[in-house]
Amino acid sequence: MSYQFKWSVLWSGQSGGWLLQGVATTLAISGLAWILAVGLGILAGAARTVPWRPLRLAGTFYVEFFRNVPLLVWMFFWYFGVPPLLPRGVQDWLFNHSAEFWAGMFALGVYHGARMSEVIRSGINSIPRTQFEASVAMGLTTFQAYRLIIVPIALRLIVPPATNESLNLLKNSSVALTISVAELTFQTRQVETYTAKAIEALTAGTLIYLVLCVSIAWIMARVERRFAIPGLIARGG
Amino acid sequence: MRRMLSVVVALAVTLALAAPVGAQPDTTAKIKETGVLTIGTRTGSPPFAYINKDNQWVGFSIDLVEQLVKPAVEKEVGRTIKIEKKESTPPTRIPLLSSNAVDLIAGTMTDTPQRREVVDFSLTFFYTGAQFLVKKGSPIKGVNDIAGKRIASQQGSTNAKIIREKYPQAQLREFPDQPAAFQALIQGQVDAYTNDGIQLAGLKAKSPNPGDWEVVGDFYSEEPYGMAMRKGDVKFKAAVDAGLRNGFESGKYFEIYDKWFGAKGELPYPMTPTVKAYLLKHSGK
Repeated sequence: MSYQFKWSVLWSGQSGGWLLQGVATTLAISGLAWILAVGLGILAGAARTVPWRPLRLAGTFYVEFFRNVPLLVWMFFWYFGVPPLLPRGVQDWLFNHSAEFWAGMFALGVYHGARMSEVIRSGINSIPRTQFEASVAMGLTTFQAYRLIIVPIALRLIVPPATNESLNLLKNSSVALTISVAELTFQTRQVETYTAKAIEALTAGTLIYLVLCVSIAWIMARVERRFAIPGLIARGG
Repeated sequence: MRRMLSVVVALAVTLALAAPVGAQPDTTAKIKETGVLTIGTRTGSPPFAYINKDNQWVGFSIDLVEQLVKPAVEKEVGRTIKIEKKESTPPTRIPLLSSNAVDLIAGTMTDTPQRREVVDFSLTFFYTGAQFLVKKGSPIKGVNDIAGKRIASQQGSTNAKIIREKYPQAQLREFPDQPAAFQALIQGQVDAYTNDGIQLAGLKAKSPNPGDWEVVGDFYSEEPYGMAMRKGDVKFKAAVDAGLRNGFESGKYFEIYDKWFGAKGELPYPMTPTVKAYLLKHSGK
């Protein structure tokens, strides 16, 4: 029995709409999670380098706790574990307002925040210690030195590994289908079960992820070139 | 090199010609020769077919084959035969059948028009349909009460498809597997979980507090289970159907049903009058 290809299943019927919805959900959950991850990453990454032990410990705890548990477990934790701790009224409100989306977003953001913070910490550590000392000598407080000098320079240095991390975040958003978030992989499987055309559906999913990721990589390459610090990082081709 | 190529081509042509000879399959002739009827069935679908505590491969579907189908096939081939069981799962059962590894699928296979394009089905031997599992006392009593409610389903199931298409007011949440969907129901993420009634009854029976849950609603989808055979295997299908029909007429079928689904059975799931009428109607009585 040879396989009969039927590519039209991807745009006939509801398939096209489903795939588009899937792309929209994937971008929404990844975008919000990315903002959360970068925010947490900067805070925790910076915290781990400051000359104040309790803050360093807090940062280390966050990173080790969140990056060493599988993302899938975090998904279940935020979806099944957290709601029972909230008051009944809040729970009902949440369940009626896409609790699965927000749980998935938090899981993704907090998990990748921990990974992102390591990238940012390595960026900060690559800046000569004298930069910080010079800032403080000029009368800046530690907080000001980080906000105005150290973090901005670190962010400009870490674009390539941060791109890597961002792409991972986008692809990992597919894990959210386990808590019924209808993102791209979910919709791909939906098309597959409705049409029984596995190869076509999976090819469509593959191509869409590829286009999304290549576009992001392209944008980030531009960002990298635009913000490279002459002398500190070699200009990318 | 040339010679090798021609050998390969010759081989390919022979295979291509040999494979779809176009002859109708005749399982009865094969059984007459070997004395063996090989069935493909499940190992983990109680009470239809599963390995029990004593390590025996038993179940409702297996009983039907041994007590109803076997005598009819024996009559057809004119000798005593032996039943052999092989494991078959949803993705493997049709390939097993078409490769002649098994002769009959007797498990939990729903008879659907799409599947009928590739295999033949016997008379319906079990009839279930989609219902809802809810917390006891829930306002949901059936498919007409689900507007605005959060309904869990298994992704890719026929039930999910029906809810999405016919009841768009419901908030459908699709989970990849049954445990996640049930967990969501326990915690209140969803108001009801929908699946085949028999599956829900099984889930309820296995849960820590079966009394907390209720299976509600009339069937809003039809899930008739049939035994599958190779397409066009006319004599064999006639024998299998005769066995089942005989079971319905003599009442033997209902005794077997009672053994597995009666009040004292493995999974109490009393047969409703609708179901009984459906089975009898489709047995040609």
